[in-house]
Amino acid sequence: MNCPIQSRNPERFVAYAAGTLDPETARALERHLAECAACRSIAADQTAVWKALDAWEAPPLSPNFDQRLYRRIDQEVRFSWWDRLARTFRPMPLRQAVPLTASAGLLLVAGLLLQHPGTIAPVAPRGEIVRANQVERTLDDLDLLRLLGTADSTQSVHPDAR
Amino acid sequence: MPGDVGRTTLLRFGWVVLLAILLAMVAAAQQPPTNPIDRWNRMSPAQRERELSKLPPARARLIRQRIWRYNHMRPEEQQALRERYQTFSQLPPDKQQIVRDRLREFHQLPQARRPVVHSEIARLRSWPEAQRQARMIGDEFRSQFSPQEQQIIRDLSAYLPN
Amino acid sequence: MEPRVSTGMGAAVARALDYDAELMLRVKEGDGASFGVLLAKHRASVIHFVYRLVQEQAVAEELAQEVFLRVYRSRSSYEPTAKFKTWLFRIASRLALNWLRDEKHERGQERLDDGSPDLPLRQVSDRRPSVEQELVYAVKRREIRRAVAALPEKQRAAVLLHKYEEMPYAQIARVLECSESAVKSLLYRAYETLRARLAYMETT
Repeated sequence: MNCPIQSRNPERFVAYAAGTLDPETARALERHLAECAACRSIAADQTAVWKALDAWEAPPLSPNFDQRLYRRIDQEVRFSWWDRLARTFRPMPLRQAVPLTASAGLLLVAGLLLQHPGTIAPVAPRGEIVRANQVERTLDDLDLLRLLGTADSTQSVHPDAR
Repeated sequence: MPGDVGRTTLLRFGWVVLLAILLAMVAAAQQPPTNPIDRWNRMSPAQRERELSKLPPARARLIRQRIWRYNHMRPEEQQALRERYQTFSQLPPDKQQIVRDRLREFHQLPQARRPVVHSEIARLRSWPEAQRQARMIGDEFRSQFSPQEQQIIRDLSAYLPN
Repeated sequence: MEPRVSTGMGAAVARALDYDAELMLRVKEGDGASFGVLLAKHRASVIHFVYRLVQEQAVAEELAQEVFLRVYRSRSSYEPTAKFKTWLFRIASRLALNWLRDEKHERGQERLDDGSPDLPLRQVSDRRPSVEQELVYAVKRREIRRAVAALPEKQRAAVLLHKYEEMPYAQIARVLECSESAVKSLLYRAYETLRARLAYMETT
């Protein structure tokens, strides 16, 4: 049977386990716990949960996290330079502006391609369409093939090698 | 002023020449992708959306998510997977199906057995054929692995060599 | 109503919270260095929150990158209507929960390497653990991760925000875009489940 104290204020036990109850409320709860086995059990269990969660460390960050982020930001900012680039060719007659604006755009794309080959590619030639279900089947195969991945990247020790 | 126009035109012509050189370099650096996912990435966004719109929305969304994961793999991991896929895709269709079946069977092995089988596959994949065969007919191999595990190891090490 | 807690929330802390919003307003004005300060201050907690939610390190870092990219993209329209951290974790929660929902639909392939390295539990003693203790820790690590992973996504997010970010219920409600009573309910059910699952560990 649930104790009314526990039913009315279940979050009190969480705060107690976390050590964030104010001293007066904590003392009142402790007086109750001395008399109530059910609440004592819940408090103990919640304390165990809190300690278990306390002990769960997250892995360290990759050392190049910031670098990768700034590179992505840089790429986004670079596209805003398109405006500035186009401005340098104004004002000019249309017969000059059109081919040169197109050239500047190609220059931007070329610069990105050189920096990240294979990431951003020109549009596929007409006719080279990959169907979505072919993509799906390839993804299925890649997921299966990834299962072999850890063997390539880790030096797992075969029992015979010991 | 006529002189100014001439100078400006010359500068602009220089842009175009520079652009042509850059594009030539980029074209030389680009490798034609054989992986359907890489070819998918080269399609225009409009082409990709057109293909995905032919599928139910939930399935299309899932494909997008899986492609996102592939595209955001670590570069070295992605390259290794790409190479593994290339080897796989060059197998005849019946062998591809054998590899798929063995990988699924591998995935269904008890968790405790997977590292051991995994390690054996990794080792045998790198061995010459004669050495691989000698290992697999030996008593030690047969005693360490169940018949199903032996089949998995045999087929995956044969069809997906390093 | 939440129990009275001794949080130590004084004027100094309140000023610190405002300071993040102030930094973001400077980013809005084009001050890239202020973005760097915000990134240095919050990146670890965002990544760790997302990691514990999705339990894949590579995915967590990519999602965290997306979080900060969106913060940067939103700079020109940023208005400090909420605390900066609330806004930041709202973005992080949305991205991570969307990812989890999409991931649920995938075939349930349990990879040999799930991308989450097994880290040691913090040990009170400096003594080198015995082999037996290492085995126990390995089981506990796995159980904690599994226990949290088994919670429904929103309960999981609520627990992580409550436990590791020490957010009060009202702030969690704003992050998860639900009512405060919904947050109380999420946490009540989540902790009840975790107690049932993890409490035995103290006795092992």
